[in-house]
Amino acid sequence: MTCRELFERLSEYLDGELSPELCAEIRRHMDGCDPCINFAKTLKATADLCRRLPAHRVPPEVAADLRAFLTARQPRSFTKSP
Amino acid sequence: MTASPPADAEGALIEASRSGDPGAQEALVRRYQDRVYGFAMRMCRNVEDAKDILQETFLGMIRALPDFRGESRFTTWLYRIASNACLKKHRRGVFDPEPERVISLDALMPRPDAEGRKPEIPDWSADAERALLRGELAQQLEAAIDTLPRDYRIVLLLRDVEGFSAEETAEMLKLSVPAVKSRLHRARVAVRQQLSRYLTGEAGRPGGAPASGGPAEPFSRGGDQTR
Repeated sequence: MTCRELFERLSEYLDGELSPELCAEIRRHMDGCDPCINFAKTLKATADLCRRLPAHRVPPEVAADLRAFLTARQPRSFTKSP
Repeated sequence: MTASPPADAEGALIEASRSGDPGAQEALVRRYQDRVYGFAMRMCRNVEDAKDILQETFLGMIRALPDFRGESRFTTWLYRIASNACLKKHRRGVFDPEPERVISLDALMPRPDAEGRKPEIPDWSADAERALLRGELAQQLEAAIDTLPRDYRIVLLLRDVEGFSAEETAEMLKLSVPAVKSRLHRARVAVRQQLSRYLTGEAGRPGGAPASGGPAEPFSRGGDQTR
């Protein structure tokens, strides 16, 4: 396996989407190829960081507007009490 | 990522909502409004558009609830509505200041230097963890995601931020699974490059690699390291 081939399949490797044979080939390549190891580590870190992005909270006025919007359009479905 | 509510409680809420229980429908909206708002904000980057998407998504949800049969997870079904709303909103704009561009994997691949030496790829993964814990990295990451073209951004958000599988993402966006995987990889590599520049202070060098003066061969001149 070449560096380029590894580079192209790295996300699939990190996501566990490759066959055991391909994974073994990738691990063999990375054993001793520092650029590939570090690229893999930092790509994995990138995906992990995305998963840990702080959640947004709906601002109270946006939530209130949403409620009013839905109440106006689905009067039988939405409670009218504040 | 906001944690999902327990499946059985959600199931009861959905059933009650499908039967037209107004309190249950309202509870369902409250349960998911933060997540959908966050998704919409990251897609459209402004409160007014995110508000529109929020309203369109939940109105669509309430109206289509009688048709929800549980063939997919509820969140997959809900986010299909939200994704459509995001993509429609983008297309409706008369003037799009961001022409859609393709992320080239070739352009993002680290190159050897002029002497053909392997690029130095710094491992900043531990630094990133520390920066995240200090509250320094979230803004940079959001900014990096912002730079992605819309078709790549939505895949990264659905897969890595919202936690949907490749199959669910493909279903939501009406793409093939290979297309989802390809866009996700390109989006991740592009965001990684932005983070690398920030964390290593090496602007203008793909992946923090030394500037290349040689031909476009990945990692080493004269063919890759074949192992």
